[in-house]
Amino acid sequence: MLVVQIKPEEEILPKISSKRLFIFECLGCQEIYFPAEDVEKFIDNLKEEIVGKASLDYLCNREFVKEYIERYSKQIKKAQILLVFSCGVGVQIVSSLLEDKIVYTCCDTLYLNGFQGLTVQEFNCDQCGECYLNYTGGICPIAQCPKHLLNGPCGGSQNGKCEVDPDIPCVWQQIVDRLAKLGRLDKLEELVTPRNWSVSLISEPPVKRFP
Amino acid sequence: MSLVDYTKFRLKPAEEIRGTFKQINRIFILSCAKCYKIFEEENEEEYTHLLDILGEDHKKIVGHAMIDFLCNNFLSEKRILNLDLSNCASVGVISCGLGVQFVAKLLEGKPVYTLADSVQQSGNSTTEIGYHGISLEEEKCAGCSQCYLNLTGGICPITNCAKGLLNGPCGGATDGKCEVNSSFDCAWVKIHERLKKRGEKFTLESVQIRDYSRPSLKLKSDLSLQNQTLRGEGFYGGLHPLEKKGKTADKKIESFPEPKIAVIFLSQHAGRRAEPSVRLGDKVKVGQKIGEADGFISSPIHSSISGKVISIEERIHPAFQRKDLAIIIENDGGNKFDPLIQPYKDFENLPKETLLEIIRERGIVGLGGAMFPTHVKLSPPKKIDTLIVNGCECEPYLNGDNRIMIQHPKEIFVGIRIIQGILGAERVFVAVEDNKLEAITTLNKFLDKSSSVEIVSLKTKYPQGAEKVLIKRILDREVPSKGLPLDVGVVVSNVGTVFAIYQAVVEGIPLFQRVITVSGENLARPGNYWVKIGTPFKDIIEYCFDKKGGGFLEEYELKMGGPIMGISQTSLDSSVIKGTTGFIVLRKPPVKVSEERDCIKCGRCVEVCPMQLYPLYYSLYGRKGEPGKAIKYNVEDCMECRCCESVCSSKISLLSFIKQEKEYACSSNKA
Repeated sequence: MLVVQIKPEEEILPKISSKRLFIFECLGCQEIYFPAEDVEKFIDNLKEEIVGKASLDYLCNREFVKEYIERYSKQIKKAQILLVFSCGVGVQIVSSLLEDKIVYTCCDTLYLNGFQGLTVQEFNCDQCGECYLNYTGGICPIAQCPKHLLNGPCGGSQNGKCEVDPDIPCVWQQIVDRLAKLGRLDKLEELVTPRNWSVSLISEPPVKRFP
Repeated sequence: MSLVDYTKFRLKPAEEIRGTFKQINRIFILSCAKCYKIFEEENEEEYTHLLDILGEDHKKIVGHAMIDFLCNNFLSEKRILNLDLSNCASVGVISCGLGVQFVAKLLEGKPVYTLADSVQQSGNSTTEIGYHGISLEEEKCAGCSQCYLNLTGGICPITNCAKGLLNGPCGGATDGKCEVNSSFDCAWVKIHERLKKRGEKFTLESVQIRDYSRPSLKLKSDLSLQNQTLRGEGFYGGLHPLEKKGKTADKKIESFPEPKIAVIFLSQHAGRRAEPSVRLGDKVKVGQKIGEADGFISSPIHSSISGKVISIEERIHPAFQRKDLAIIIENDGGNKFDPLIQPYKDFENLPKETLLEIIRERGIVGLGGAMFPTHVKLSPPKKIDTLIVNGCECEPYLNGDNRIMIQHPKEIFVGIRIIQGILGAERVFVAVEDNKLEAITTLNKFLDKSSSVEIVSLKTKYPQGAEKVLIKRILDREVPSKGLPLDVGVVVSNVGTVFAIYQAVVEGIPLFQRVITVSGENLARPGNYWVKIGTPFKDIIEYCFDKKGGGFLEEYELKMGGPIMGISQTSLDSSVIKGTTGFIVLRKPPVKVSEERDCIKCGRCVEVCPMQLYPLYYSLYGRKGEPGKAIKYNVEDCMECRCCESVCSSKISLLSFIKQEKEYACSSNKA
């Protein structure tokens, strides 16, 4: 689940000073998290001339954006710079549709745990391509151990907390606790084969299943 | 349209599955119905493949359940705990890592096995995991929290360059193809070309070094937590729309000018239409009964002005949006009251039956919008222990109930006493959203601390005002599917209705006027008004709209009710009815997206449905023309709050499918 934060002003303002602007604002994921008020403030504080503004939901949907670009074509033509408030996907869509226009994003994007599903969750899945959950009582060491260890803890955790960041729990502690509860501590004696990075890290280009 | 297949998992290799289950028997299989895919049918092939692999050995597999959005822990938990898992020794899960981890956590005492590998559909050619937005496009975002797109012409080097280079190409590309894998375009060649088109040039003035400590685990977990709390606040689902109440929140309720002509519809309540009891040319007074209730579930209609009946004809009804019978009265300006309007001095000692008779005769109906006859609601066949007075007003813009609470707290408490007496309810809750601070303080000031009335302030969220949501929220009681609040011993009544009951019983005034909020865009006089029932919308526009705005119905959308659930008006000849909570004028969206897209199963509708339904199935069956199938997804429980429709990422008009299917369900129930 992608969420955005507004970039610091000093990063944006010098790029756009005294230019004519057109603004794209995404409202798409606002029921999840979108800093709508910050965006409004940011836009209000701009001294530059704003020739138009399009607010739409799901800026990441190419088809929708096309229709908006058509509707606002006059204003967009007048503008020197297009400012986009959205996640990285939205910005890339707008830039690819308006290749000869300068498009700037005002947001930094990060993702939340559980991004690939729908509900934001405390756990994550890194889509590593070879699921280890059968060895670990259903708790993922790849997504949750900062060292991605597969064969037991690093030994650095204290009171069940990670040595990298004491705010997060040691996932191997959780795994051991879970397996103990299941009476399957013997699972820990199985040696997990080294991770096959070729499955996970060099991916095929996206499959187009619906041409 | 070309969409990318974003299926997140694939079945593990057959040998691995056989190996895992060599010594394990009695497995229950849970499979996820997948997300982010073109949604055409319910079935997924993975389970049949699994059966092939295990040779359909039924000793091994004792059961199977397919669950939509397995990672949605709130809904899945209910469904999984409802399954009979007593017979199985272990649970096998076909889903991405999220679903497996969730099930493993939920069923901590049972061994849970994953039967699938989660696959990355991430980078375009990259070593970096990329995430997609809500739509199924090729563009990805790695969520690195330090966006470089401003330097690179809107092409992400992190998800597109196999080496993730930020400061120009590696030099290994040939003919614009990546040296790591020649089937990929070189990201930096693309960036160079894009910048050329834009008249820009990539310079090394600001060398970029990626900060891999961003986003920090702390920030991510904080944001996750914040989102989880926000989503889970109060009740499942719902939205946080921009409130926009500020425009009229502080405006005192004023009297709206009397209409010259009043158009009073005879159907202003749920149930049978009232029968006209006046004839053409009759003189009527304010508050005089002009329509007689036709049966128990019906309600009489009163004149809101004094004058002459000039016509009884069909006009466009604002709620049904089709022609319906109305009595047209020409105002004589006399404002003469019907002599029957007399205060009841001794109302405290009136028996319950007399009070109900007064409420019925004075034409009181639910003023929250549903217009259910109040005397019916207050004569429930079951024992009622709790009354909830609904002052949530969760729709944006509206302030009518808010103002009534601020200006008439004493009357509301009297009204509550009357209802409490009729129902014999032991407890009373007045539910107000926490964005109406003034109302909460005022009510608390006038609250008789010794009474059984309690003011509850609720965290703002739409659709909090829906009665089933309120009951769950305040009393933690669940109204059964297809049931009514009275099934759990509760009556929910709107504050406006409570005030109308006060007026009817104490002052003897029938329901011929109500408070409405006029708000929205381009208004010269937004505000809260006492409006006579039957005031044509034309008059309201005339009085409140800023005329410089020009052409009306072409540019503006007119909604009776709130902006979300309100009904779009097609005719200014319609008029205010008892269920008109507000009159909202909104500029039509500049772009009307021309066609609906296919459902991509993004699951947003499931995520926001406060009734915990699966709206995507209604559109699936609706489009296929198989409405009967939607019944198993409890379509009748939908309260049409439009949350699903407003978040639909494919702009599917879900509500039209829902209405269609509800009708079907209704007619098949009768049959």
